Amino acid sequence: MQNTDPRLERLLFNLDALAELGEELTSQKDFNRVIKSSLYMIIGTFSASKGAMFQFDHEQKIVHPIASKGIVNINDMTMKLKEETVEEIISLKTPIDIKNNDKVALLIGMGKADLEKLKARILIPLVVREDFLGLIFIGEKFSREAYTKDDIRLLSVIAHNIAVTLHSYSLLKKLMHKYDENKKLYENLSHIYYDTIHAFATAIDAKDAYTKGHSHRVSAYCAAIASEMTWSHKELEGIRIAGLLHDIGKIAIDKSIINKDNPLTKNEFIELNSHPVIGYEILSRVKFPWTEIAKISRCHHERVDGKGYPDGLKGNKIPCGVKIMTLADSFDAMSTDRPYRPALSASEVLIQLKENCGKQFDKDVLQSFFSIIRKEVYGENRPAILPLLRDSFAYQLKSEVLNGSINSFNPSKSRRKRVANHTIV
Amino acid sequence: MNRKFKSFKELEGCVIIYTDNYLNDIEGEELESTCDIFLNKGKKRVIIDFANTELINSIGISILIGIMEKIKEIKGILFFSGLKKINHDIFNVLGLTKYVPIFQTEDEAVKNIMTNNL
Repeated sequence: MQNTDPRLERLLFNLDALAELGEELTSQKDFNRVIKSSLYMIIGTFSASKGAMFQFDHEQKIVHPIASKGIVNINDMTMKLKEETVEEIISLKTPIDIKNNDKVALLIGMGKADLEKLKARILIPLVVREDFLGLIFIGEKFSREAYTKDDIRLLSVIAHNIAVTLHSYSLLKKLMHKYDENKKLYENLSHIYYDTIHAFATAIDAKDAYTKGHSHRVSAYCAAIASEMTWSHKELEGIRIAGLLHDIGKIAIDKSIINKDNPLTKNEFIELNSHPVIGYEILSRVKFPWTEIAKISRCHHERVDGKGYPDGLKGNKIPCGVKIMTLADSFDAMSTDRPYRPALSASEVLIQLKENCGKQFDKDVLQSFFSIIRKEVYGENRPAILPLLRDSFAYQLKSEVLNGSINSFNPSKSRRKRVANHTIV
Repeated sequence: MNRKFKSFKELEGCVIIYTDNYLNDIEGEELESTCDIFLNKGKKRVIIDFANTELINSIGISILIGIMEKIKEIKGILFFSGLKKINHDIFNVLGLTKYVPIFQTEDEAVKNIMTNNL
């Protein structure tokens, strides 16, 4: 290198610096670090002793420091710029040597004291397509030599690269802001959506003095069973909503029929049994993110042996979501008082569930349900079902589990495969 | 990059700070902070030994100039030693060799700095 032209050496150093700047500006590092590194690169490239970079805030019309080297208390130096000042800075286009140039100082509204504090020698406007993004000041060279025309040209190239980065960052920030706004809007709408569905569920249950909280409990039981059957988060949300709305058809049924404590007449029975179809008609008009909610409402009185209603579906013709709903609905019905009978004991409920396995209830769904109960009783699962039961019923159920009445239940004597066609989404 | 400039030697009247590997990102500011500590303790003779430093880029130069400015302000003495040829050439191109005496070895730098009048 000793014999090489010093100007060539300088050029190579400048090219190296430009390449490193490009690498830094396009890196995935933290924005503040990128900006600070870029400023240090400029300072180092020109052997300057001080420098600072300011970013323009378009809303407040101020420039504020985002990086500095060799300057104390820089954070106090926020400057308000007038509209015409911004336009004049944009028109400057290239870096300006501000030594003895009071006009530039006045232009950006800085007093001589501020310039003295910055030890500013060169002002570099950061502009991309007439968009003013900020300013860089750099101080005297350590050698106190003047900046050459080549220096100014190189500074201009560097400044453009930094300005493009600032511009991209500013666009990204705006995009992130919009994203945050939309996210909040979505969350608000989502809350309204869930609140409305819960209000519907409360309204459905209010028709029947005995079924207060029924839809909410069925929803929770469904979600617990589906979770045990390893459904996805999205699928769980779907069956949770289906649980809340499965009895929506009861809204159209005469309250006196729902609350009747004597045996129903044939016509009353027909009317009451029409609630799944009415529910389907109501829900199929709603565009839920989960497509099978209406179908679950329609089919929640179907039985795996085909003896259910309204369609008499059998076995695998019944979606898994429906099978879960049927079990959850029946379990809640049996474990709570009804107008025509008091609640069954836990022992009676378990007998009913086992006896109707493969008839009314799907074996895999029932096994999963027993599995959750076991896990909750033994503290292996966060309780989801037990807290919703009446205290006396929960106590009896725990005793049954501890006595092994669920453990002995094994309809297939072999581990069953997961039920196919379970997706309700 | 020399992340922590904990490697230094304090002699009577001067301090030697050893850099290592690279001086090419803003973590290099720790070099400046280490110098500040000794300047604040009243040391006015500082040697920075670059014997282990492979690469110094423009960020490193900005940090070294910061140190040069501070030592100039307190009318202290700064020597560099152990520079590899590639780094010496960079200092030469930027004209820093006019302002900071450079020695082949730390020992030479120590011998000279102690005889230098402040």
